[in-house]
Amino acid sequence: MTALARRRRPRLTRTFSIAATALAVLTLAGMAVLFAAQSLPVWQHAGLSYLTGTEWFYRDESFGVASMLYGTIAVACVAVGLAAPIGIGAAVATSELLPPHVRVAVKGAIELLAGIPSVVFGLLGVLFLRGFVYDGLDAGGFDPLSGDTLLTAGVLLAVMILPTVMTLSDDALRAVPDTQRKAARGLGLTRVEVVVRVVLPQAARGLVSAVLLALGRALGETIAVYLVVGRRDNQFPESLLTLRPIVEPGQTLSSKLGGSEASVAWGDPLHWGAIVGLAVVLLALVTTVTLVGTALARGGVRDAR
Amino acid sequence: MSPGRPAAPHRGAPLPHSMQRPRLGLAALIATSLLSACGDSLDARSILRVNGSTTVNPIAAEAAEVLRDELGVEIHVDTQGGSSGGIALLGEGRIDIGMSSKPLTDEDRRRYPDARFVAHRVGEDAVALVVSADVWNGGVRSLSRESMRGIYEGRITDWSEVGGPEQRIVFFNKEPGRGTWEVFADWLYGDADDAPSVSFPEVGGNEETRNKVGGTRGAMAPLSYAWADGKEVFALALETRDGVITPTPESIGSSDYPMSRPLFLITDGDPVGDVKAFIDFVGSPLGRDIVRRHGYLPSPAVTPGE
Repeated sequence: MTALARRRRPRLTRTFSIAATALAVLTLAGMAVLFAAQSLPVWQHAGLSYLTGTEWFYRDESFGVASMLYGTIAVACVAVGLAAPIGIGAAVATSELLPPHVRVAVKGAIELLAGIPSVVFGLLGVLFLRGFVYDGLDAGGFDPLSGDTLLTAGVLLAVMILPTVMTLSDDALRAVPDTQRKAARGLGLTRVEVVVRVVLPQAARGLVSAVLLALGRALGETIAVYLVVGRRDNQFPESLLTLRPIVEPGQTLSSKLGGSEASVAWGDPLHWGAIVGLAVVLLALVTTVTLVGTALARGGVRDAR
Repeated sequence: MSPGRPAAPHRGAPLPHSMQRPRLGLAALIATSLLSACGDSLDARSILRVNGSTTVNPIAAEAAEVLRDELGVEIHVDTQGGSSGGIALLGEGRIDIGMSSKPLTDEDRRRYPDARFVAHRVGEDAVALVVSADVWNGGVRSLSRESMRGIYEGRITDWSEVGGPEQRIVFFNKEPGRGTWEVFADWLYGDADDAPSVSFPEVGGNEETRNKVGGTRGAMAPLSYAWADGKEVFALALETRDGVITPTPESIGSSDYPMSRPLFLITDGDPVGDVKAFIDFVGSPLGRDIVRRHGYLPSPAVTPGE
């Protein structure tokens, strides 16, 4: 290889990488700008009440996303509330307590779950989870309307984000150097105490980041939520402390976007703007959560070194 | 998470032979992926795309099965977005035939000025108010328009108020854009546009509606009559000034039953070629058999326009 060719090689790679990165960034920026532009009519029509209004009646041209924001956050909270303890617990088991060959098998099995398409989860939810939740709520005295509730969607999402939480938590736990564990054992701590007192606190940042990144996926999940959430608009509780809305049908940002109203809205600038506005809100939400999650992850690794 | 990486070649030294070949592989990979992206459009011309209402879908799907072998052309039948979805896709030129269970409106024609919609009537269907088994067995066999309005507007919330068991009424509204909903609202309020804005749990296509009503106590929803099988869900009779009318093929055909609606296959302009063959087939005696077999009534003749 000539000396000239050797000098050209790194420059070509650099140019190609920069071009690819630019393409990705421009696509994201272009998307955000396009959404913002198309949603302009609804901002002019409703202003800030678009975000704070709890009523969405498209035929009366009244657009408020607060009820859907509530639904999204409620479903996400249920999902994270179930997936975080189980996922982190599983990660503790695989990274700290299980022997290596068992660890590989368990981790592989859980990561298989991550590869299952969302619509399969949605159909399983319709087939089994809905009936289970309906009967369960009935037995618990809640007098449910049907098996389609925010709770059902939350449980389904928990199963879907579990592999993500588990894998990322496992990585966070393994980033804690072994010297810490050895030193703790040397001081006489039991295995459980080592995990609880030494490893978990050090990996805390990474664990929070794992949960946040999984939350980012949960916020945007559409098909599975669409099939089991009930899709009832304007469910905003009088008091945020009651649990009643969780066992009632509701609507989330993603289930509204995945529904048929988008096709009905096409052609009417205001209605279409309102629908695209939902996408803008969802994009902002997911971006924020993901950015915070990624920032925390990076910080965690630096601390452990 | 950070496995050891093989040592990078020392800067200035030639690439070892094992690292030169992957560059060809990479180039081949990029070329293949770019080429495969062009592949799709070559097949598009020989596919007949049908889309729209879930009510008309069984007819179109079976007709497609028969014609696929006869015409030797790929026919894709899908149900995206119901009747409105079918009209929208046809207006945008993305499909060849739209399926609709409601008549075309001026609004539809105005929204797609470049398309000339021609509606071909292929059958009749009725919209029934279906209830779950516990409501039917609890004695509710018919409903008046006033009672239905009360339920829709949230004034009547328990089946005991309309002669049934003590059970909360769980009404599943149809998604916006569904032909079934338009027919239901037209009957309830004279014009679907006059229907008040309400918040009920929503269902999409006929299959989902039947599943959810069948699996929930105290449930009711508007549903295509052909899908009310009398096992999972049960069709109520309507109390009108002329008496109690049960939805049957006779009462639907004679228009005694108020919520009957025509089923359409819609084309952009007059049909030609494969599209014409499809439409003609559905209107032929074999096609009318298919319509009948799926629980609908065949139209007297396939005529354009409506």
